[in-house]
Amino acid sequence: MSDIPAVEVSGLVKDFQTSFRGPKLRAVDNVSLRIEPGEVYGMIGPNGSGKSTTMKALLGLVKPTAGTCSIFGKDSLKVDSRNDVGFLPENPYFYKHLTGAETIKFYGKLCGMRGAKLKHRIDEMLNLVGLDDARNRALKGYSKGMLQRIGLAQALVQDPRLVILDEPTAGVDPSGSREIRDLILELKNRGITVFLCSHLLEQVQEVCDRVGIINHGKMVRQGKLDDLIALEDRTEIVLENASPELLDQIHTLVDVTYGVDMISEGNPRTTLEDLFLRETKPRRTVTKKRRKRTNS
Amino acid sequence: MSSSNKKTQRQRKKTSFISPRRILIIAQSTVTQLVRMKVFYFLAPIAAVFVGIQFFDAPWYAGPEASQPQQELQMHKNLCLGTMMLFSSLFAIVSTALLIPRDIEDRTLYTILCKPVPRLDYLVGKLLGVMAVVFIALAVMDMILVVTLHFRTGAVLADLEPYLQKLGWPQELVDEKLDEISAHGPTMTLQYGVLAYFFKASVIAAVALLISTFSTSTLFTIASSVMIWIIGAAQNIARQGLFEQGGLAEDSGPIAKILATLVSLLFPDFQIFDSVAEAATRAADISSEQILQLGGFTFFYLAIYTVLSWFVFSDKEF
Ligand SMILES: Nc1ncnc2c1ncn2[C@@H]1O[C@H](COP(=O)(O)OP(=O)(O)OP(=O)(O)O)[C@@H](O)[C@H]1O
Ligand SMILES: [Mg+2]
Repeated sequence: MSDIPAVEVSGLVKDFQTSFRGPKLRAVDNVSLRIEPGEVYGMIGPNGSGKSTTMKALLGLVKPTAGTCSIFGKDSLKVDSRNDVGFLPENPYFYKHLTGAETIKFYGKLCGMRGAKLKHRIDEMLNLVGLDDARNRALKGYSKGMLQRIGLAQALVQDPRLVILDEPTAGVDPSGSREIRDLILELKNRGITVFLCSHLLEQVQEVCDRVGIINHGKMVRQGKLDDLIALEDRTEIVLENASPELLDQIHTLVDVTYGVDMISEGNPRTTLEDLFLRETKPRRTVTKKRRKRTNS
Repeated sequence: MSSSNKKTQRQRKKTSFISPRRILIIAQSTVTQLVRMKVFYFLAPIAAVFVGIQFFDAPWYAGPEASQPQQELQMHKNLCLGTMMLFSSLFAIVSTALLIPRDIEDRTLYTILCKPVPRLDYLVGKLLGVMAVVFIALAVMDMILVVTLHFRTGAVLADLEPYLQKLGWPQELVDEKLDEISAHGPTMTLQYGVLAYFFKASVIAAVALLISTFSTSTLFTIASSVMIWIIGAAQNIARQGLFEQGGLAEDSGPIAKILATLVSLLFPDFQIFDSVAEAATRAADISSEQILQLGGFTFFYLAIYTVLSWFVFSDKEF
């Protein structure tokens, strides 16, 4: 439609002053990414790799040390950019004294909604996240998953064109997280851009068009999901009801063929998970420590 | 769906720098928050004290024979206004100090600031919310004060009139005396005194707002706001000490003057509010211009502190 990207992050660097005079901690190191309108983009990475920090910079909650972020062409540091975006922070906390319906009403009003339209929207949102029954209960009595759901409803209240979800399924039960996955797919069908990060790689693989893998603040791999996880020099054969004899035959066949190696065997794993582990594996600090301990 | 989507997109215009409607929404939510924190329960014991004072005679009160029966009423007003001042100031400090650091700690602020809400709107909304609750609390206390004072004035007058008549005062003189006493009852002047304390509490709330934008804990905010409150009350005395007590002031004139000006910029001179309230308890004349001036002064301080808070807050990261 137009060539304005939904999200554009270019050369983002973010340093945190962790102690009063100590060295700065580089949480995000020269990350660039671009999300086209209508796309679902997944960011994955180990704990503390800078996913949430990137999202916060995109929402203007932290100021970049270097680089720029924009949403639909509007600079993230300007309030204007927040008109078209809904954000679900990790561990969302809201005013505990408000009920579910009041919470959505509050955020709807902040977005400039009012009257019958807002009222209708509140019902719609509560229904969408399955909190109809709890609408008149105060949030202090909500469970973790329920808070996550109300956070999702709050993010979607003004029908934004971009939704940023920081671990939308954290603390949500399996069926709930499946519902959230379906919801993301529905948003995608409606042409809404989604930027999410999650540790549930299967889900990321199911819903995302493109993924980026971030490690120690650096973007290590980025691209179309299908391209990333396709391993052209490898073939996976998935068999059902294969007899031991057949497997033996395959083994011998592989053994006698020059240049072919059997790399792994077993139940198939999610390939994104494989990729993730491969890209983020070298945790040298951990292994070094362990080695030291065994030496002494 | 797509048509409605388009419509909403067209409706989304530029977010204005400051929007009264959004400020009102935040102020409203602040009031709800404070109300649900059950702050108004504190009003019950205070009301009980006000009513209790009613039945408490000043030790020097000698009945209608006293040369100055209005002292009885003055004591009543002194006690009540003093309580109102303490309560409203402390309340302004504590509630402001509780609200913003808590929003940051609980990360509620994340979700608010990622909606199209300018940070200034958030600050002004919080401040107005606290001021509204202080206003309501003061209004309730004021009502109780007016009612109790009304009855007490009635009682004093009812005692005094037959006594003066028995002494053989001519009726005009009796009426004059009664009018004089009535001036110490619930009058407009008294309302000015209450208003002065509302202004004072508002300025204190703005101070607490500024402190809470850079402090990281509730306790620090409360402690330092209380300190400023006390310094503000004491600075008039200090300034008098610097300038009006001979030698010292003449020697270190310019430096001391600059110092005092700096101090008065940092610490608002709460004496101005106190003196108006004190005049109100004495039933002295307070002109409406004086009140307007006081209002202007209040507004000036609120604006300064809000802008300073905004400077600190707009650079803040979460
Ligand atoms: N406000 C802050 N002050 C100091 N350091 C911070 C701050 N926020 C984040 N960091 C640091 O920046 C790094 C990246 O944090 P971030 O929250 O972005 O990680 P993440 O990828 O979201 O991790 P997780 O998967 O655990 O949510 C971490 O090392 C963290 O300690
Ligand atoms: Mg995170």
